[in-house]
Amino acid sequence: MARIGVFICHCGENIAGTVDVFKVAEAAGKFPGVVHSVEYKYMCSDPGQTMIKDAIKEKKLTGVVVAACSPRMHEPTFRRACAEAGLNPFLCEMANIREHCSWVHEKGEATTQKAIELIRIMVEKVKRNKPLYSIKVPVTKTALVLGGGIAGIQAALDIANAGHQVILVERSPSIGGHMLQLSETFPTLDCSQCILTPRMVEVAQHPKITLYTYSELESLDGFIGNFKARIRRKARGVDEKLCTGCGVCIQKCPQKKIPSEFDAGMGKRTAIYVPCPQSVPNQPVIDREHCTYYIKGKCKICEKFCERKAIRLDQQDEIIEVNVGAVVAATGFDILHSKDFPEYGYGKYPDVIDGLQFERLASASGPTLGAIKRPSDGKEPETVVFIACAGSRDDAKGIPYCSKICCMYTAKHAMLYKHKVHNGKAYVFYMDIRAGGKNYEEFVRRAIEEDGAVYLRGRVSRIYEEDGKLIVKGVDTLLGAQPVEIKADMVVLATAIVANQDAESLAQKLRVSYDPYHFLSEAHPKLRPVETNTAGIFLAGACQAPKDIPEAVAQASGAAAKVAGLFSSSELSREPVIAVVNRLPPPVFSTCTGCFLCEKACPYQAIEREEIKDRKGNVIKVVAKVNPGLCQGCGTCVALCRVKAIDLQGFTNEQVYCELMAL
Amino acid sequence: MEELRKKARELLTSGAVKVIIGYGPGSGKRVRAVFVRKPEQADLLICDDRCLQNLAVYLTKPEVKALGKAAVVARLPTLRAILQLAAENQLTDGQVVALGISPEGKMTELSQFKAIEEFLAGFSFELSAEEKATLEKLDQMTPEQRWQFWQEQFAKCVRCYGCRASCPLCYCEKCLAECNQPQWIPAASHQIGNLDWHIIRAMHLANRCVNCGDCSRACPVGIPLHLLNQKLAEEVFKQFGARSGMKAAQEYALCNWKLEDRENFIK
Amino acid sequence: MSEFEPKIVAFVCNWCTYAGADLTGTSRIKYASNVRMIRLPCTGRIDFMLLLKAFEQGADGIIVSGCHPNDCHYTAGNFHARRRWMMFRSLLDFLGIDTRRIHFAWVSAAEGAKWAEFVNSVTDQVRKLGPNEQYQKLSQAGVE
Repeated sequence: MARIGVFICHCGENIAGTVDVFKVAEAAGKFPGVVHSVEYKYMCSDPGQTMIKDAIKEKKLTGVVVAACSPRMHEPTFRRACAEAGLNPFLCEMANIREHCSWVHEKGEATTQKAIELIRIMVEKVKRNKPLYSIKVPVTKTALVLGGGIAGIQAALDIANAGHQVILVERSPSIGGHMLQLSETFPTLDCSQCILTPRMVEVAQHPKITLYTYSELESLDGFIGNFKARIRRKARGVDEKLCTGCGVCIQKCPQKKIPSEFDAGMGKRTAIYVPCPQSVPNQPVIDREHCTYYIKGKCKICEKFCERKAIRLDQQDEIIEVNVGAVVAATGFDILHSKDFPEYGYGKYPDVIDGLQFERLASASGPTLGAIKRPSDGKEPETVVFIACAGSRDDAKGIPYCSKICCMYTAKHAMLYKHKVHNGKAYVFYMDIRAGGKNYEEFVRRAIEEDGAVYLRGRVSRIYEEDGKLIVKGVDTLLGAQPVEIKADMVVLATAIVANQDAESLAQKLRVSYDPYHFLSEAHPKLRPVETNTAGIFLAGACQAPKDIPEAVAQASGAAAKVAGLFSSSELSREPVIAVVNRLPPPVFSTCTGCFLCEKACPYQAIEREEIKDRKGNVIKVVAKVNPGLCQGCGTCVALCRVKAIDLQGFTNEQVYCELMAL
Repeated sequence: MEELRKKARELLTSGAVKVIIGYGPGSGKRVRAVFVRKPEQADLLICDDRCLQNLAVYLTKPEVKALGKAAVVARLPTLRAILQLAAENQLTDGQVVALGISPEGKMTELSQFKAIEEFLAGFSFELSAEEKATLEKLDQMTPEQRWQFWQEQFAKCVRCYGCRASCPLCYCEKCLAECNQPQWIPAASHQIGNLDWHIIRAMHLANRCVNCGDCSRACPVGIPLHLLNQKLAEEVFKQFGARSGMKAAQEYALCNWKLEDRENFIK
Repeated sequence: MSEFEPKIVAFVCNWCTYAGADLTGTSRIKYASNVRMIRLPCTGRIDFMLLLKAFEQGADGIIVSGCHPNDCHYTAGNFHARRRWMMFRSLLDFLGIDTRRIHFAWVSAAEGAKWAEFVNSVTDQVRKLGPNEQYQKLSQAGVE
């Protein structure tokens, strides 16, 4: 016989203010199976929990219903209290009479009645609860970090320094990401490469980090603690073990006019190349799309000149498999490109460039060695217009969000320009200046007040060329929407931050959710900002949303802390809310018909096939079996199963059915 | 018919199959299913337009499986049922020889699923004009009229489960109707239990029913159950472009999804 | 005679709509008290038979709600559910069952206000429809 205890919380006035808790306690005491029904001011307090523990022992309770706040708030608290009193924690349920009742309805009879019914529903459920036990799964203490930008570097170093193995996978030939392309960084104007390259070297030399550049994630299977990742190592064309990075092949390569991705098209590179001299690893790759050998079938000059005989023209992509316990996605971002801005002539006029291109112009290691020279004729521009919010906060471009970093880098660009071209004129068109951050507002003020950048609040409608000048037409809304026309020598667009083109397919590989703009979604916008909804997969950096360097680094360290926490024990335990396929005595064995329609429906590939054999080893029947490590407990298979051979622990058919019968 | 008997004799004599599931003489002018196990009994086999039953229903029965490899006289719905059963892991390739009968009565031996698939590809499985008209007539009624229509039908149901017994896709060993913890479907032939049963059966057959019509033929009180299945089959085809029993590796529309699935009722 | 107050049963997923309704609570947005919520992990878990049982237990209206497409905690449970509801709803309609009594919505964990509005609008609509006589008559029919 069930012996259920009901504990009704006043939550101070939060519940008792609208619900007649005394009446509720009296009514609940009369439900069949309820042997104990009390109310108390704060059930979650120490004395409240003691009441529950004492009642479990004294009244020999077989189930507990706490009628209080949302189970999302205090279910763990009360389950722990039950466990401490020797009751299986999964025999405790909560009736949500605060968020779903007292807070949303007026004081009165109907509200009290609803609270009574909500408790009755949970009493009927808890009578059918079965003791459940947490699932223990082993943990592979190796982390996979996807993306070798600053976020990935930081996450990899933090995890490795915590004593765990890390596999860092970077798609391009070198780690460093966008940060390596930047000239100087706001708000301190320290040189980006100067602060980043030591970190890159640290990654390469760290005994616990395995670095795979020019590689991509092919697929990910498994679950928290036990993922299996397949990584495609793209054919580099160079034997990494032999190559010393002497660079002779690069000097000799006849293809010299390929636009450099690293220089955002501002400079040129060869077909066998390293993105920049600071690349890590400092070993070239062969760009097969542009290499003469792959186009015409002959050349091999690099092979001829390589003293170490490290060139491998016939190398193929290689797929390697690694076991990891956690994954940090730090795959970064992209920016909107030229096709999206016909009105600004971006892509048509060479002197209309984007922010990353300006970074390369301003960078001491860039194609102009840091001199601001316009792309069309190499002249120093006398007037430069910077346009913030190029695409961002613009529904017409499909980007309603703020790209967050452009206000700051535009101020930085104006400043850098003024530092390099003392009598140049810098105009900035902006919508609002968003400079929230330590020393950020001061930085923008410096650009305006000390360096004399002219800030115009308004948008630019058109840019066209006239007499060798770029005519920028806009308005100044602070001067009564007065039209403004500026004859500029160069225009810099702070184009919007967007998700990588393949972010959606990455999300699908990782089975994490993503937003409408394909940024990967965190598990909770406030309280779980580095976790995803898939256990064991964490986020760092701009793959989650536009963010600046300090934020990306902070999030990466956060993700690394989560990984280190996960790796702190060799086993991890999970809630046993998982699906189970029934097993019965012979000759039935299971009511499962083996149709395996559930197999396809399972988002986690958790349904396996089990052969039931007789003593001679002959297969009698093949039935479904749920892998408890993979199952996340969504219950899609349960609803699909025609014979109800699968059930979901914690939300069984019988439990839910009885909840309904209590209506 | 002679062709069929000859093939049956051949298959049994050579030992290629142990039993031929076909139609034979029943009481009066009716035909019934026969299980021919000896070559000399092959002359029992009949194949004419009285032979409508979907014989695939027997293929999943343990008693029939125990007889050994079977050949089955298979009209188009039977062939579809075989592929659907294959898609649901109830039959393996080569386990059954289908003696496919075209609507004109011509026989083709189909011993592999691939052959059945190719054979079926030559036919259209759209509903006939008459069938469509019946569905449309119901669709055009007001909901109240439809409720009235079906309640009158279901009121007749005696819950003999003849529909289930005749259905080749109702192979579950323990049907939900027999589940009593919880008792999803009240066992008595009460209005609510009857409604539950027919809704559940229709839902379970969505994108699985092969439109053989045996449920309606088996019903002793004449409930046009096939209409429910046809309605959902049409709906599945319209919404998800899927038809049951066309491929042995067929995907089940209801354990699948597309981002662009369109409905107009979710707010 | 007092106005008819419908009984509404809501089947909601734990991660979006249940959390959304929690937010309605923390935001102290008031709504009709007619609704009783049944918490399930995911819309994918919501068996159509549960809806039938709710009607049999005297529900005048039913709400089914979960995460928006692409937001499912389990990545795809809501997509599976959507297909199932498409079929189920058209079957009910074909049987003449009043589909105006079953309402579906995507309500995210951030849409506390939407939940309140949705419950209110469903309650109003069902209140206008009156008691669920179709099912009431069936239960009263008895075994004959």
